[in-house]
Amino acid sequence: MKAKISEEQLNKYSKNMDNNISAKDRIIAWPRMGRIDIPLKALLVSLGAKVIIPPANSNEALELGVKNSIEGICVPYKLNLANYIMALNQGANTLMMFQAPGSCRLGNYTKMAQKTLKRMGYEFDMVIFDMYQSKMKQTLQAFWHVTHCLNPFKYYKGFSLGFNKFFAVDEAQKQLFKIRPREINKGDAEKCYNKWLKIIDETNSIWKAKSLVKKIKKDFKNIPIDDKKFVPKVFLLGEFFVVLDPYINHDIEKILGDMGIEVERQIWFGDWLEGVLKPSFLNKKESHRARCVKYAKDYMKRPIGGECIETIGDTVYAAKNGIDGVIHLLPFSCMPEIVSQNILNKVSKNEEIPVLSLVLDEQTGKAGYITRIEAFIDLIKRRRIKINEINKDKKEIINV
Amino acid sequence: MSNIQDIKPKLGIPRAISYYNNFPFYYGFFKSLGFNIVISDKTTTKLINDGVKLVVSDTCLPIKVFAGHIINLLDKGCNTIFVPSIQSTGYKINNCSKVRGLPEIIRNIINRPFRMIEPTLDKTEGLGIKEFCFEAARQLNIKDEELIKSSMDAGWCMYNNFIEMAREGVSHKEAMENAISGKRTKKKIELVKPLSVVIMAHGYNLYDERISMNLLKKLEKMGVKAYTSLNITRQNAIDSIHRLDEIQYWANELDLTGTAAYYMLNNKVDGIIALSAFGCGPDSLMVDEIQYHAKMRNMPMLHLTIDEHTGEAGILTRLEAFVDMLSRKKRKEFQKEQPKNKAVISKINEKRVLTNI
Repeated sequence: MKAKISEEQLNKYSKNMDNNISAKDRIIAWPRMGRIDIPLKALLVSLGAKVIIPPANSNEALELGVKNSIEGICVPYKLNLANYIMALNQGANTLMMFQAPGSCRLGNYTKMAQKTLKRMGYEFDMVIFDMYQSKMKQTLQAFWHVTHCLNPFKYYKGFSLGFNKFFAVDEAQKQLFKIRPREINKGDAEKCYNKWLKIIDETNSIWKAKSLVKKIKKDFKNIPIDDKKFVPKVFLLGEFFVVLDPYINHDIEKILGDMGIEVERQIWFGDWLEGVLKPSFLNKKESHRARCVKYAKDYMKRPIGGECIETIGDTVYAAKNGIDGVIHLLPFSCMPEIVSQNILNKVSKNEEIPVLSLVLDEQTGKAGYITRIEAFIDLIKRRRIKINEINKDKKEIINV
Repeated sequence: MSNIQDIKPKLGIPRAISYYNNFPFYYGFFKSLGFNIVISDKTTTKLINDGVKLVVSDTCLPIKVFAGHIINLLDKGCNTIFVPSIQSTGYKINNCSKVRGLPEIIRNIINRPFRMIEPTLDKTEGLGIKEFCFEAARQLNIKDEELIKSSMDAGWCMYNNFIEMAREGVSHKEAMENAISGKRTKKKIELVKPLSVVIMAHGYNLYDERISMNLLKKLEKMGVKAYTSLNITRQNAIDSIHRLDEIQYWANELDLTGTAAYYMLNNKVDGIIALSAFGCGPDSLMVDEIQYHAKMRNMPMLHLTIDEHTGEAGILTRLEAFVDMLSRKKRKEFQKEQPKNKAVISKINEKRVLTNI
């Protein structure tokens, strides 16, 4: 029994957070994913920390990541590593990252990145949120470690600013996806979205941050839209990182929006964070995961790590709620999503919903990618018209 | 007698994935529960092609092979098939998602009617080997607890026999056959071979003769002694991982990192051979880890990647080149040591000369 305990303890992630760097000198950076930089910056700055935001993911960053990581690893790691390197080059000395052991290779990311960066000769301190045991305590501990802030009001301000900004960014994106295919003057929604991102970034008081969501909803209503336009709706599912990061998925929401397709995403960073950090007894609403497990029942009996069960559950949910199609994104060699890709074939057939799986990695060519999306959209549109005609015929028969 | 055999219900076990490490246990357990066990044929190219047709192209070779074995069992007329889901083998020590979701994949890609026995082993959630066995028995409509417990003992008996034989150095195939028939053999006396390597690979890649292209036999022919994960104890493997300052993250980590680390740290081998399937997630990390440590310790390493298109000639060429390199390295080391030996010999000669005078 003794040996067992020590084995478990040895296997715990080393929490030897260095205290070499004093809290004042810390300059904090974290990997980029979509626009999570805005809320996180607000949180850390209000705790009194200095931050550096590495440049957004780009070809240059990807090249840097590919150069320094092993061949077989998935794209999200390569981009994360590039973010770290860029941030360290700009002068950061503390890196923050979360991890969830047991999901997939993600649990190994921080360990590998730490080793690789040390090998490259960088000196830094990596602060890890372990998203498995006592999440809220872990999170607070990590933030205390980097800032040494003792003022509880500052924590309150930081967290409420951060959370509200997360929700505001999510809301702005939701509105953007809804308005973009319907707008009369091309580019209005995008302009409005960028304007609001700036406002969200600049907001610095809790009251203003709390009212952001309402204001965004109101402002997006002012954009002139074509109500009668026929707009098919598509679900965007798949692996967390590639769905949320506009660089690696070539801004698929924009491509689809410009083609006149409404995109609905089921993965939102704000939702996810709320689900992870909030104690379970405060959650009155059915969580996303619980819904997915319920819908995926016929195809999967057990969660297998990653977002596999979410993908399957959401696809079934989409089919039952009259969504026109599902676009499934996955990084090359992603283990959980390959399982869901295997299962999706049957789901698509049984539930009668078109599914397009797109594999993304550093070799993805944009032209081929767009061609496939275009073909898929054509299929969806034709299918919808057909269904509408059948329904019309039925109605006429009833009327006669 | 043959009539009784026919009456017994059939249970199919595919010769893939967990077969290569756990089959003696499965065999002992289900045999004693009263089943007639049917194993699928050995992997062939046709069988792989059957599997490839069913799954998406990104899936790794072992899963494709597994699907092929299921088809093979169905063709044999076996309608109850054992497909375990081994989620984790320790607290937060998880398996690859594809192995965890094996029953999910099989359920959704095969359109023929058949019954799947799909117990879960998940030690993170507290589902140990006992729950695993009870779940399997429940799905087979067996409720007699005493029978299940005695069957488990029968399974452990065969498994321990197999592990002990394999550890002593009996080849995997022979150990498996003997364990199942309840025999116990000792290792044949072997000539000391000039070179030795350790192979880090999943059991289902290494011991499948089609997937590994008979790697073990090829090495034997070249006069190289190959050590595998079966030759060391579990505790040794765990200790070696900790000695390298790594943690056990994957369920198969002991078979790969642990084994390689043990032989590398104890300086028992001349080189490391890693054998992994293309697109294998855990392997990409584990091989990299060992590659890093091997480089630090100046240990030669060969990484062979296989998929369904791999040609045997290419693998052989790389293997020969690696073995040549190892033997040249060893010869050089000997030559370095030789001048000392020469001096000793000459001194002895001098003494002799003096005494003669």
